[in-house]
Amino acid sequence: MGKREFTIHVGPQHPALKEPENFVFKVDGEYVVDVEPRIGYNHRGIEKAMENRTYIQNLYIVERVCGICSNSHQTCYTQNVEELLGMEIPERAKYIRVLLAELERIHSHLLWLGVAAHEIGFDTLFYYIWRDREVVMDMLEEISGNRVNYAMPTIGGVRRDIAADKIPKYLKMLDVLEERTKFYKNICATEKTVLARADGVGFLSKEDAIRLNAVGPNLRASGVASDIRADSPYLVYDEIPWNVISYDSGDVFANVLVRVDETFESVNICRYCLEHLPDGPIRTIFSPLGKVPEGEAVSLVEAPRGELIHYIQSRGTDKPYRYKIRAPTLGNIPALCEKLRGGYIADIPIVLAGIDPCFSCTDRMVFVDEDRDKRWEMNGEQLRRYGVEWYK
Amino acid sequence: MIPPVLSSLIQVFIFPGFIFILSYAMFCEWVSRKFVARLQNRVGPLYTGWEGILQPLADSIKLLAKEDITPKAADKFVFALMPVAVFALPLTAIFLIPIQSLTNLWGYSPIVSFEGDLIIVLFLLSVIILSIFLAGWSSANRFGIIGATRAALQMLAYEIPLGIAMIGPAIFARSLSIGKIVEWQAQSMHNFLSAPNLMAIPVALLLAVGFIICTVCLLAELELRPFDSPEAETEIVHGWQVEYSGKKLGLLRLGHDVKLVLASALLTSLFLGGPIGPWPIPPVVWFLLKTAVCVLILSNASALFARLRIDQMLGGSWRYLAPLSILYIMAVQIIAGLM
Amino acid sequence: MAMAKELLKNAREKPCTLLYPFEKTAPPEGLRGKHVFVGEKCIGCGLCARVCPAFAIELLGGRGPKMSGMKVYLGRCLFCQQCEEVCPTGAIKLTTDYELAVLKQEDMVLVFERKPPEAKQPKKE
Ligand code: SF4
Ligand code: SF4
Repeated sequence: MGKREFTIHVGPQHPALKEPENFVFKVDGEYVVDVEPRIGYNHRGIEKAMENRTYIQNLYIVERVCGICSNSHQTCYTQNVEELLGMEIPERAKYIRVLLAELERIHSHLLWLGVAAHEIGFDTLFYYIWRDREVVMDMLEEISGNRVNYAMPTIGGVRRDIAADKIPKYLKMLDVLEERTKFYKNICATEKTVLARADGVGFLSKEDAIRLNAVGPNLRASGVASDIRADSPYLVYDEIPWNVISYDSGDVFANVLVRVDETFESVNICRYCLEHLPDGPIRTIFSPLGKVPEGEAVSLVEAPRGELIHYIQSRGTDKPYRYKIRAPTLGNIPALCEKLRGGYIADIPIVLAGIDPCFSCTDRMVFVDEDRDKRWEMNGEQLRRYGVEWYK
Repeated sequence: MIPPVLSSLIQVFIFPGFIFILSYAMFCEWVSRKFVARLQNRVGPLYTGWEGILQPLADSIKLLAKEDITPKAADKFVFALMPVAVFALPLTAIFLIPIQSLTNLWGYSPIVSFEGDLIIVLFLLSVIILSIFLAGWSSANRFGIIGATRAALQMLAYEIPLGIAMIGPAIFARSLSIGKIVEWQAQSMHNFLSAPNLMAIPVALLLAVGFIICTVCLLAELELRPFDSPEAETEIVHGWQVEYSGKKLGLLRLGHDVKLVLASALLTSLFLGGPIGPWPIPPVVWFLLKTAVCVLILSNASALFARLRIDQMLGGSWRYLAPLSILYIMAVQIIAGLM
Repeated sequence: MAMAKELLKNAREKPCTLLYPFEKTAPPEGLRGKHVFVGEKCIGCGLCARVCPAFAIELLGGRGPKMSGMKVYLGRCLFCQQCEEVCPTGAIKLTTDYELAVLKQEDMVLVFERKPPEAKQPKKE
């Protein structure tokens, strides 16, 4: 380290990070020279907890991996279990799942927009956006019975139906959301101080985005039009007309635009779902104490933050034998470090927030032996033996 | 009749000195918080007193009762001294600004006045920022040091246009005393009303330009948005204040309020005619009204913008504000020469 | 300055803040809140306790006819409604009561009594 450089720690407690995570920045005056992420402050052992609970109980555990994309995790999980069961879910259930997923995307993207405004010190915009986000929150609350953890998808379908007489009201709420989002897009594009803080900040080239495995809006902001909903459609995304949004400039401003435009797309998808909701049952029965046949499955879902991967392994009991979750933020961290390098200290929060990080879904466990300066990881079998040894 | 010693003591400590200014500073904080909250569609402080008017006082009392922590690595003496300086310096500067005379209901005079007190005010403003720098630096926290350097950079960039803009009215009034400047404004207003002449228009225009430059610079001086990067919360965790807690933080907050009053009082006296107004209302009321308007202007700006980065801020100052202020002072010289 | 108009508009409007303990919004129909338990309906099958992902339900006195009541630990409950969904007789239900703040930890536990029907009370000693 040169004489002029010193390190600053952003996190695990820092106002710019809403979750505990540590980034060690090497800075030279106001410039960031290098950054080293340290994840693992919020490891909650969810995968292990899932191995100890039945398939029905796991529905609600997996929902709590993330507070904002809870529905994506649940959808991903149910898809996995249904694949193992060889179960086909009713059409109406599929539409309701898509509706929920898109409402969740609207809620997540508006939330992000507000947080981004807060990170660049534009609190007024933050308050307005969060006020208007309440519309979609109310809608979700009415449909599912809870603001955040909707608990809608279940194995075999969804748990609540959408009342036909409420649909006109929902459509009106969607209009309000669309209008307000247009207004905010206009503000972001014309307010000089916002442009000064977002345009050209946190650049990630297309090549780097692909090389570093960026996912989700972060990838699409670098000009790669890749979206799980289009690349390997699940549920009924292949029946619904919609577009993949991508922008080429690769900076924070492109991130804003991608997310705002995706909100518009989501509003349209929701409208389509509400207007074309097929009749029929909403679920096929899966016994709450049911067993799942032996096998393994992987399912992909486009969460608001990007590609979400769940893996399941069953040994024919009523509990999964192994469950593995790869949340989108983990995929985005290498790209994030690339974006931060060479920027200003002042841009750290907005670039960090630019990938819409969700660290508690990301955390991995690494063993560290400080005395011997060693780090290592363990696979499932090693971990099991380690546990047996420990308690012997 | 009150003996002169007692009268000066009252002036310094009660009215229009210490206690008056302090309560007015808290009132201004309340006005600004309430106003920003309403702009953002919130309610703002609500429960302490009528519409939360006692909230700033309650906050200060709470902070006084809190644990006061000094970091181990900090320079203890400087660390403890600087909050006092940040509080006392703007208070001293306000003593130089004419508000109300104690003996004559319709008269106004600063507590202390002499030829050149404008320069002293400018000097005190710089010393405030110097003490902010020392406060951040002595706390031996990395965020604090970054905040302190940013504050110093900001001072270098904005002190010059601020000084120049404040000299404008002084040139017109041909005096460096704030009291005389106020008198000049009253005089010329009187002249204009009794015999309107065209010369007043460029003067008024120039004063308006000076007012704008001064407002922008004072926003930077007060570390209000868009110039709040020395204490940017999401970036460097309140910058130079990060290690302060308890009593010291309470003093810093009060200091900030007093600075807000000082800034609006300066704007009022140099550009808006100070405590002078039509007859039936005493000067002190005029003064309070005008400063409240200035507080509203300052806090409106802080709701309207996003935070600028420090380099954009410095660039903006050197590229636009400094040349503008030099042009302004040249125009002022020419016009004043013609008069 | 793009926000100037919106700011002025909002300054004239009423703040959107609800002064919560004094003003309340009506919860939407179907909100998942506090539990109710109808002792007469319960058959003591214990399914609710078995499916609960948070282990928030405790049967008092064991399963079946012996069951004398039920404890619901609101502090653990996730309000997922799985207990209601699985109950064969609709004995346990979630209401829309969302105001669950209490001052003591003991109050976080709902204790329900169950008086088993007289006829079905075989007492084999
Ligand atoms: S609502 Fe869910 S968590 Fe709560 S008691 Fe019922 S099953 Fe358990
Ligand atoms: S409440 Fe319902 S599920 Fe629970 S023990 Fe009683 S009958 Fe069974």
